Amino acid sequence: MRSATRAQSLLVGMAAAAGLLVATHSGAKDLDSSTAAPTPSKIPRSADGKPDFSGIWQTTSAADYDLEAHSGRKDAPPGVGIVAGYVIPYTPAALEKKKKNFETREAADPRLKCWTLGTPRGIYYPEPFQIFQRAQDVTVFFEFGHSVRTIHTDGTLHPVDTDHEFWLGDSRGHWEGDTLVVDVKDFNDQTWLSRAGDFHDEAFHVVERWKYIDANTIDYKATIDDPNIYTKPWDIEVYLYRHREPGFQLIENYCYTHDYDQYYPLPKE
Amino acid sequence: MYSIAHTRHIGPIALACRGLAILALIPTVASTQQPATAPAAAGTAAAPAARQQPAGGGLAYEKTVPVIESGKWTGKRLADGQPDVSGDWSNTIGNHNNTTDPQGGVPNDPRSPPPTTKREDRAPSRISDPADGQLPYLPWARAKQIEFQNGFFNNTKPEYVEPLSRCAPAGIPKSFYWHGYEIRQYPGYVVFLFNSGSRIIYLNNQQHLPSAISLWQGDSRGHWEGNTLVVDVSNLNSKARFGRTGEFTTENVHVVERYIFDNDGKHYNYVATFTDPDAFSRPFTVTVPARRWTTDDKENGWHYEVPLANNPGKPPIADHFERICVENNFGFGQVAVQAKK
Repeated sequence: MRSATRAQSLLVGMAAAAGLLVATHSGAKDLDSSTAAPTPSKIPRSADGKPDFSGIWQTTSAADYDLEAHSGRKDAPPGVGIVAGYVIPYTPAALEKKKKNFETREAADPRLKCWTLGTPRGIYYPEPFQIFQRAQDVTVFFEFGHSVRTIHTDGTLHPVDTDHEFWLGDSRGHWEGDTLVVDVKDFNDQTWLSRAGDFHDEAFHVVERWKYIDANTIDYKATIDDPNIYTKPWDIEVYLYRHREPGFQLIENYCYTHDYDQYYPLPKE
Repeated sequence: MYSIAHTRHIGPIALACRGLAILALIPTVASTQQPATAPAAAGTAAAPAARQQPAGGGLAYEKTVPVIESGKWTGKRLADGQPDVSGDWSNTIGNHNNTTDPQGGVPNDPRSPPPTTKREDRAPSRISDPADGQLPYLPWARAKQIEFQNGFFNNTKPEYVEPLSRCAPAGIPKSFYWHGYEIRQYPGYVVFLFNSGSRIIYLNNQQHLPSAISLWQGDSRGHWEGNTLVVDVSNLNSKARFGRTGEFTTENVHVVERYIFDNDGKHYNYVATFTDPDAFSRPFTVTVPARRWTTDDKENGWHYEVPLANNPGKPPIADHFERICVENNFGFGQVAVQAKK
């Protein structure tokens, strides 16, 4: 009965592991990702003990189609969106502009020109990005456009000059327990938040919270504000999944070159 | 009128031009007398705003290439054992005006006469092999290079506009003499953040991507040999030119790069051997000397576009802003977006 013995010992081992988990996480009944919630024990950590987000990540959500709750339509699957409360609190004037953006989205969405997607859109855009992490910074390397965002975690502050108008914003992060909290501001007004025409201007301000809910899943939350566009700050939440396919890698996608690629044929004899 | 691509960490520039940029003259950085720090506006192109000018310093013009031998690494190492070469680097002998005469300016530049100095008083050709410093072209390929060079200031065809001017990645090897750049290292990776484009070097010893995939920066698989990072590059789309002088390879090129770091931690030589029998009669080698820039250096609009971080009361830290070529975001011809209010 060797096999039975082996099965029994396996069961015992699993029970022990489960017990350990319960002991470690007593009180964690769900995947609450607030800062106070405990983190699963088996997440990758850096030498300094911080969660290590290194890896290739991608959402499976349809957030990029529309952040708000919406019915299915020809160019988007239906969804409840990723906005807390389902609706973005636009000012009346901004809502008019959003509606115009929506009507013209098939031509006006900056992603179609392959402009840098911005923050947070790059995070939930349906194309992978890779995180490279050191103690002093977290580098977010997007496949789309091959653009690179640096989240500074070296204790430095936003630049004194506040008129850089970055495409991706200026990102300064710090750790609150196992949550990476990132303050992002100093944006330009050129990016959209979704294919549905959600937008912002230069007063855009994003506070992100990155946290593991298991070793291969990040709960990404952001509080979004722009006093010129929204009546109050609003929250989004999306899960990011680690790419684990063997050999999976980013492939450079300088898609903004496609418009002129044709002018650079390989010189031929 | 086409304004030169110039990566900035600031917002959109005012754009006064209309129509297809491809028929316009390209303002270029002219010569050694006028280093490539301030792209001149031409035609109706809007003049760059003052803050887009480089902050002090110009293009460095060392005359010689240091000898750095491959060998042991005795310098700092990262936790994963890699030689620690992270930080800011830039080439020391000139920009991409001219590949074989790096301090000789762009040939045929209508606004700048050829250099009056003797050739031996300027830095050597970046072609370190063959010994004559010239590319060993097959005749058809030489003709194509000269055609581009002649078309550069008379760009009557779209293909005479250097792709970099449209914010295409500078590619290989031009990325190494187009502004300063940063190296970041991680277990399994060396990452280059260039002024136009970025590159991930994989140290995982895996195979190259399938040949159907072609890339501006190629597919890079590397490993360390002592002080030398050896990188095998394939999958190049070969659309980028080596410089304004128009040198190119075909898609069948295979590149072996050797980044040979001096144990002083302050210099390295980029030594790349190109094998491309479709366009060249023999392999050739490109050598690009580089030096490290640190917070001890002044910010420099070409080599070191790195301000000090806002870090009051603490030691200086180099701040690294996003490097997004503005025209990336304006589509072909810069016609997509109006001047900002």
